[in-house]
Amino acid sequence: MAKNITIFTTNTCAYCVMVKKWLGSKGFEYQEVNLDTNPERQAEAFEISGQLAVPVTVITKDDDSQEVVVGYNIGKLASAVA
Amino acid sequence: MADSEIETHDVVMIGAGPAALSAAIYTTREDLDTVLFEKGVIGGLAAITDWVDNYPGFVNGIAGLELADGLRGQAERFGADIRLGEVTEIIDQGAYKLLKTTDGDMRAKVVLIATGSDYKKIGVPGEQEFYGRGVHYCATCDGAFYRGKRLVVVGGGNSAVQEAIFLTRFATHIDLLVRSKLKASDILQKGLIEQAGKITVHLETSTDSIIGVDGKVTKVAVTKQGVQSEIDTDGVFVFVGLEPNTKFLAGTAVELDEIGLIKTDAQLQTSIPGVFAAGDVRSGATMQIASATGEGATAALLIRTYLEDRNTAYLAPEAPISELKPLAV
Repeated sequence: MAKNITIFTTNTCAYCVMVKKWLGSKGFEYQEVNLDTNPERQAEAFEISGQLAVPVTVITKDDDSQEVVVGYNIGKLASAVA
Repeated sequence: MADSEIETHDVVMIGAGPAALSAAIYTTREDLDTVLFEKGVIGGLAAITDWVDNYPGFVNGIAGLELADGLRGQAERFGADIRLGEVTEIIDQGAYKLLKTTDGDMRAKVVLIATGSDYKKIGVPGEQEFYGRGVHYCATCDGAFYRGKRLVVVGGGNSAVQEAIFLTRFATHIDLLVRSKLKASDILQKGLIEQAGKITVHLETSTDSIIGVDGKVTKVAVTKQGVQSEIDTDGVFVFVGLEPNTKFLAGTAVELDEIGLIKTDAQLQTSIPGVFAAGDVRSGATMQIASATGEGATAALLIRTYLEDRNTAYLAPEAPISELKPLAV
């Protein structure tokens, strides 16, 4: 199960809206890091995902292992939060 | 599973872009039970467009994301049920269409396919290799990673020019690579002129490959009038046309044209009776948001007519009316 979820987003990213909407529809809470208002955290998002892209969703599980999903992909998100 | 146990709706719409959301505003107001399935972004390509300047009713234009959210909210206000999932198969059963979905099997009296289109790939070496790490298809998503950097934008249509202008808010300089001539609207081309210091337009320039070092894009190889050269860049954004989202229809009786768009008759009905198509996925579509919303509304009205006729065609009593007896009270 997901213990903690963090999403890296930007203001104009529609896929970020969809990830938040999907997590909300499944009853998950999350922390959002907006890279437009926190540009100093861009390097962190890149380091975690290996991509210059958002949304980046970081799911920390009960055993503290992490799974990272880049983009809006319902199948990957569902498997990562399961 | 018995038919009576399968979730059944008046209308199932595949997609939740401007065409489907507009259609849903109309069908729900007609009290037709309407479900929409969206596997991507609600609002479709409109939602990932930075700014929409040509949608009627907005004097100064509107952010694509805001327009999409307004369409969604309006459809939901009248009862549209938007589900985040996918329809993988349509099976024609006559009066009903059986749909295989991520929510399980579902039946619908009418199906509206409004899955729109996605941006095409260029298909050059390096494009796949650097996807997400220097090659992008969504400026509003990934542009913020290029503050103070140089960019290449590939394409010469409205999307390419509009997104190049949008990216000037982050990048120090943009090279716009146009394979032939600019096809963007005059107003967008004027926008390019206003950004002349920041955007260099390269006409009749083909993009040959995307080159990188240590996993990062560094150059784009191009050919202009037979002369090959390289352009230094930190990233590439691609807007070279649209590809219809119709792959899931392979193997169905829904007829497509030579580029994969859905053929319809004048009633927006596909080759399967009771299955309609509207918006950017329809053969003959103008690929404009205003056209998509208009087609969505038209489709909804034609669906209403179809449902009225369907009640006659499929649900007529077997015995002549004169021979029917009143139900016992």
